[in-house]
Amino acid sequence: MSERQSNNGSAFGRRKALALPFAALAARSGRAVAQAKEPFRFGCLMPTTGLEAGYGLDFVKTFEMATKDINDHGGVNGHPLEMVVLDTQAKPELAIPAAQKLIDVDKVPLIVTAWSSVVKALGPVMNRGRTLQLNMGANSPDIANLGDFTYSTFPLADVDVTALANYCHTKMGKRRAAVLYINNDTGIGGAKLFRDTFTKAGGEIVAFEAYDPKATDFTGLLLKVRVANPDMVHMHSLAELPQVIAQMRQLGMTQQITSYSVGYNPKILAQLGAAAEGLIVTSLAPTSTANPNVVKLLDLWKQVGRAPNGLPYLQYAWDTTLVTAQVYGWLDQQNMPLTGENCRKALLAIKTFDLPMTGKLAVTDDHKVQKPVYLYVVKNQQFTLLETIA
Amino acid sequence: MEYLASTILLIGIFVILAASYNLIIGYGGLNTVAHPIFFALGAYTSGLLGAATGLPAVVCVLAGVAVAMAASFVLAITTLRISGDYLLIASLGFQLGLLQLVNNVEFTGGPAGLSSIPDTFAGPGRGAIYVVICTAAAALVVWAIWRTMNGPFGRAVRAMRDDELACAALGRSLIGMKIRIFALGCGAAGLAGGIYAYYFQYISPEQFQVAQSAEILTMVVLGGIGTTLGPIVGALVLVVLPQAINFLHLPNGLVGPAQGIIFTALVILFLFLRPGGLVGTAGAGAAH
Amino acid sequence: MIEPAILLQILWTGIAMSSYFVLLTVAFALTLKVEKLWNFAQAGLMGVAFFAMFYAMNALALPTWAGIAIGLGATIAAAVALEVWAIGVLRARNSGGLTFFIFTLVFSQFAAYALTILFGTEPETIYPSVMSPVRILGGVAVSDWDLLAVATTLALMAALWAFLRFTRDGQFMIAVSDNAKLAEIYGISAKRAYVISGVIAAIFLTAGIFLYGTRAGVTPDVPLVLVLTAVIGALLGGIGRIFAAGVAAVSLGLLQSFSILFIPSKWQALLLYGVLFGALILFPRGLPAWRIWRLRRRLGPATPPAAPEPLTEAGE
Repeated sequence: MSERQSNNGSAFGRRKALALPFAALAARSGRAVAQAKEPFRFGCLMPTTGLEAGYGLDFVKTFEMATKDINDHGGVNGHPLEMVVLDTQAKPELAIPAAQKLIDVDKVPLIVTAWSSVVKALGPVMNRGRTLQLNMGANSPDIANLGDFTYSTFPLADVDVTALANYCHTKMGKRRAAVLYINNDTGIGGAKLFRDTFTKAGGEIVAFEAYDPKATDFTGLLLKVRVANPDMVHMHSLAELPQVIAQMRQLGMTQQITSYSVGYNPKILAQLGAAAEGLIVTSLAPTSTANPNVVKLLDLWKQVGRAPNGLPYLQYAWDTTLVTAQVYGWLDQQNMPLTGENCRKALLAIKTFDLPMTGKLAVTDDHKVQKPVYLYVVKNQQFTLLETIA
Repeated sequence: MEYLASTILLIGIFVILAASYNLIIGYGGLNTVAHPIFFALGAYTSGLLGAATGLPAVVCVLAGVAVAMAASFVLAITTLRISGDYLLIASLGFQLGLLQLVNNVEFTGGPAGLSSIPDTFAGPGRGAIYVVICTAAAALVVWAIWRTMNGPFGRAVRAMRDDELACAALGRSLIGMKIRIFALGCGAAGLAGGIYAYYFQYISPEQFQVAQSAEILTMVVLGGIGTTLGPIVGALVLVVLPQAINFLHLPNGLVGPAQGIIFTALVILFLFLRPGGLVGTAGAGAAH
Repeated sequence: MIEPAILLQILWTGIAMSSYFVLLTVAFALTLKVEKLWNFAQAGLMGVAFFAMFYAMNALALPTWAGIAIGLGATIAAAVALEVWAIGVLRARNSGGLTFFIFTLVFSQFAAYALTILFGTEPETIYPSVMSPVRILGGVAVSDWDLLAVATTLALMAALWAFLRFTRDGQFMIAVSDNAKLAEIYGISAKRAYVISGVIAAIFLTAGIFLYGTRAGVTPDVPLVLVLTAVIGALLGGIGRIFAAGVAAVSLGLLQSFSILFIPSKWQALLLYGVLFGALILFPRGLPAWRIWRLRRRLGPATPPAAPEPLTEAGE
């Protein structure tokens, strides 16, 4: 997928070595497996318990897989890469002391994080502790403004939601949209973005309704939407998305439904069956058909014995591990100590990362990430690529 | 060291919360689960005021204390009409409703939280300064409660808790006492909120859920309800224990659940092995 | 907006969706009445029930009846074990209400963590599909799930009523709930009554979480959220009034469903909490029917009113 990879790929085979830039560095030290040198550690703050742990645990698992892959191919210049994981339950009050432990006790210069409220809460902590935060999964637009020590490897919400809203109006000819959203940070931010983009494109928002995160009955809400007579419904939901769609279809409402990357989940197809047909969702990473590297990740997950949650996010988890290793490798080559400030310098110096799972990552001054948006539609019980918006 | 500082700070914050909750529920016998909302009111008032006006932190934190005290008046007034388990339900409604309000209005930052709280003491000594301030505040609160409960007012409060009718017959104004208990207890929670907001510089409604009152209550009971030292010991144990488990280097995927299992198992063990609390004697309670 | 068909639809779906809240609320209200116990451990039991059924019907591919039987068996066994080895021990020690409160809550957290290790935290449903066939009756969409939920709830409520009204054990439970010490003087075993109420609660919890889990995803943390709503229903119904608690659960569900027609949906929860707070201030001695019931009980010489264990130890 990237030139750099294909150039180096001959030694390892393309699919085998997804940690190629480091494999090349390691090759110089003449070691296949990193062992003897002092390990390079990075921190990982994820929800491994609580309501969000379904995703959090799979992120951690993928970080482990990527770390192992890097170490199997010689580590970072012969230094084994190590990860220290602490649980956040996706809650800021738990994430803050955990981050401080990683900074002060484990002395990690770089921490990978996700979940908007956690990333935002850690912004000041990172600035004070002069430690680099790499957000690999949260998409609140506020994250771009957290200061010098927070960067994202994952596009913020304005990328996919904006593309989707424009597509609905321009390409699909939708004019009257209803927006249903979960009343939390993710839902509010995404719903407002959709509303503003769709209106700006010339469409009309005929219903804009939030629901409680604990809600299970959406009948009244959906009937209110039905009365507003939209020609499409955008749902900015989380785990309850299948229930909202199921109840909407059971009420006989046949309008086009769209959602964002959370909807790109095979489980939804099983839960909804025929009711999922026509659903349009976004994804911020290419599938295994478009990118053969993803097959390796899927193969590793086959060994786990189940399908992973949120595959596109896992692709970012894998690539973020590579970004980390590349930053450490750069510092090691420059003989600079691994500190947060130096990690930031390295990130800005390397600037462009060619990554196996999600493509090119360009680090910019506005702390935002631009990536192609993949729109999928459910056809015959499968997610089928509808459009790629570059 | 920031980590040590933040751990000590959290101990201090929870000592304030547990001691003040103990005052209301343990000494006063006033069943409420609304303590986190006063913590939130203190945090939000001082955070919003600090972000909007740039007034000195002390002024903003004191304003938070004042707002928490004023709000506690509403809850205290309800005790004119209800008590016992019904007060508990009313306090549940009060907590959930007010937090929902904080969650739904725009100026608090809504569910996204408030992240524009100014940094008061920038520099390497920041953690140490906060530790001193928070420890002093915790000591002040514990001392104030000890002093209050060991004077004539304290005796009257205990009498009220044990028998309201008899206490009223002695010419005591029950509602006056309840208002004062709530004001002192909830004001202290507001103080904890102010320090918390300024130190962490980020607050969101999910940090002040009703479940937190169960956490604080566990500190109170585990330490020893109706005692001065109990809430301090309870807060210390329950803040330090999960941190200590973090040092066990559990397998990555298991770190969260295993930590949870160890923690809850230890609490259950404590409950069975030290039923009177860590500093109380078996069978000791507020009534004794 | 307010057409009869819409109102009827909201009414019907609201009733069907509140079915599991009714079952969970009644389970909570029953233990509160008989055992004077704020049993938050019911969240843990719900978790046991759900994951036992989930495991049996998915990993073991057993039929529905076998899955439910396994779920019921596991939940009843856990409920009895909890009663005998934990709650009974605390009771024998005369532990205060707060100790029970904390123990039951921490037990549920413990169960949630243990289930996380065993089953992960991905939201799971009992059947892979959450869809259910729908028919339109008089302009109202009625799904098979709706009918199953309403029928199950009505059947269990009727069975509980008959049990309390016509069986010796049922009457003994009422006697124990009125005054455990007095009942024991008359030779009634309070322990037996506690165990039976625990078993009945386990049946209601299993049914409730089965209905919930066929409709929405369950993670080990979900039961703790559900039990909080059950508490509100049980309290609003009036402590000691099991069936009124069930009615309160339906009413709360309908209040939220209908209020969407008049207020923006994000304020619905606030309405619920406002009602909770306001009702208590306006009717401090309980809602009118509540008062009559209390008066009637006070007049009955053999059954003095028994207040539930106060949550504070102050009253001890």
